[in-house]
Amino acid sequence: MPRAKAKPEGQRAARGMAHLARLMQFADSTLPIGSFAFSNGLESALQTTVVSDTASLRDFVEVAMRQASRTDGVALLHAHRAAAVCDYATVLAADSELACRRVGEEQQTMTLRMGKKFAELALKISSFPMLERWLGDIRAEATPGCYPVGQAIAFAQLGADEAEAFVVHQYGVASMILSAALRLMRIDHLDTQRILFGALQHVQAEYGAVRGLSLGEMSVFAPVFDVLVAHHTTTHVRLFMN
Amino acid sequence: MALHEQLRQLDGAKELRGFQTEPAQMRAAAPGKIGELRLGFSVRHGRSVLHDLYRMAPLLVQQALYWDEAMPELPICAIISVGGGILQGDRYKIDIRLEEGACAQVNTQSANRIHRMDANYASQHQTVTLAPNAYLEYLPDFTIPYRGSRFISQTDIVIAGDATLLYGEMLMTGRKHHHADERFGLDLLSMAVSVRRPDGRKLFAEKILIEKDDVTAGHAAVMKGFDAFASIMCITPPDAAARIKARCGTNFPADAPRAISGVSRLPNGAGLVLRAAGVESYDVRREVRRFWKAVREEVRGRTLPEEFLWR
Repeated sequence: MPRAKAKPEGQRAARGMAHLARLMQFADSTLPIGSFAFSNGLESALQTTVVSDTASLRDFVEVAMRQASRTDGVALLHAHRAAAVCDYATVLAADSELACRRVGEEQQTMTLRMGKKFAELALKISSFPMLERWLGDIRAEATPGCYPVGQAIAFAQLGADEAEAFVVHQYGVASMILSAALRLMRIDHLDTQRILFGALQHVQAEYGAVRGLSLGEMSVFAPVFDVLVAHHTTTHVRLFMN
Repeated sequence: MALHEQLRQLDGAKELRGFQTEPAQMRAAAPGKIGELRLGFSVRHGRSVLHDLYRMAPLLVQQALYWDEAMPELPICAIISVGGGILQGDRYKIDIRLEEGACAQVNTQSANRIHRMDANYASQHQTVTLAPNAYLEYLPDFTIPYRGSRFISQTDIVIAGDATLLYGEMLMTGRKHHHADERFGLDLLSMAVSVRRPDGRKLFAEKILIEKDDVTAGHAAVMKGFDAFASIMCITPPDAAARIKARCGTNFPADAPRAISGVSRLPNGAGLVLRAAGVESYDVRREVRRFWKAVREEVRGRTLPEEFLWR
């Protein structure tokens, strides 16, 4: 099982401060890839009172992060390992395996639109050869273009190890929902930051739970969330795209 | 008796690592614990018939009956579990095949109980193959995983582009009226499905995995307040899928709903999936029946018969 090897102290220093700063740049919830347009089911959760207060929002974020870790997270780790050794065929395999597990048209739109926007943004700001090839294949409809796979390719080139890539992905899931929460419910930024701080403590355990899984072992279990996904497609009043 | 290759592969699943002990009774996968069922349907003399039947206890199908008054041409087979439920060490293999233009319904005699286990696990592998223009309703009754049960299942579906398959699982969280610890008292429930075209192109895959002590199982976005759920997929061409989806609105009442449900699109134009959760099995069954009715009416132009009084 491939694991991130501990880097010698000198190498850590050589990777330098720009490395951490760029990871933060790509993890920023204001990264303009369209995540602001999606609530990952929160809008329907509020309309149906599945989420109604701070405690239920915390639970919702926890479920979303766990579900994402066991699907998107697994694909991200596989794509990252493949991108790190220039195994483009396995990157595409991770992409299609993830896409064929994405139920609900709005959930599909979320990951595909953000994947494409992410690749376009990254290519505007720097040179990412594999990401460029991947974007070309998305445009040629040769691969679906799931967001976690795009993240994996970019982070592999930036020299981030797989655990770092996984953390950025999990952080993005939580911050997207909490950012939507600020606009959808009576909650202030102090509460959302408290929820985010608490939710991030599970990231290590989630990484441990999924890092050894194969692509075929991606799994889900959240029946009410699945109904919320369907609910949003049939509601009349919508601020978000899912 | 040799174990089938796909069942052998399931033995290697990671989630089974903690459950490899041998039962004190009959050993796992011993003769008598490997159930096998092969059903083949085809069109003969203008109507669909069960032309191929192979069975090995503890799985049993006797014959196809034509009792659906709303669709009298439909051969219906009930799978009977001679063992009265799934026991530790059981290995099941089910193969259902529909030839071109054939229609069929396969269901089960009663709820599928997965008994408590103190050693090993039970596994099941299914293949479902539909040739062009075939139509299959494969709707097993509720699965009830008892406290301490371990069950793994893999279903591989190969379906032609213009065929329609209605298949899914309905599950309870345990014997809710028997013991307070039954709700998610199972050790393991792992149910995977994959859907491909005959040329090998993968359309959809999903694995529902519930392990003991899942801390999120009681959260509102998972199963809070509900003890039954269903995931029923309808693999069908896009035009039929659009008609069915237009008829099946989301059901999510605001105040203490008995059941909630919604229909979502599957990836790669594979069709639709109904997700439902409810308080009791009959609440979920009602949601499934509504979807089932829309599918049959839109795909075959036939409706469902009246529900039996004893259901």
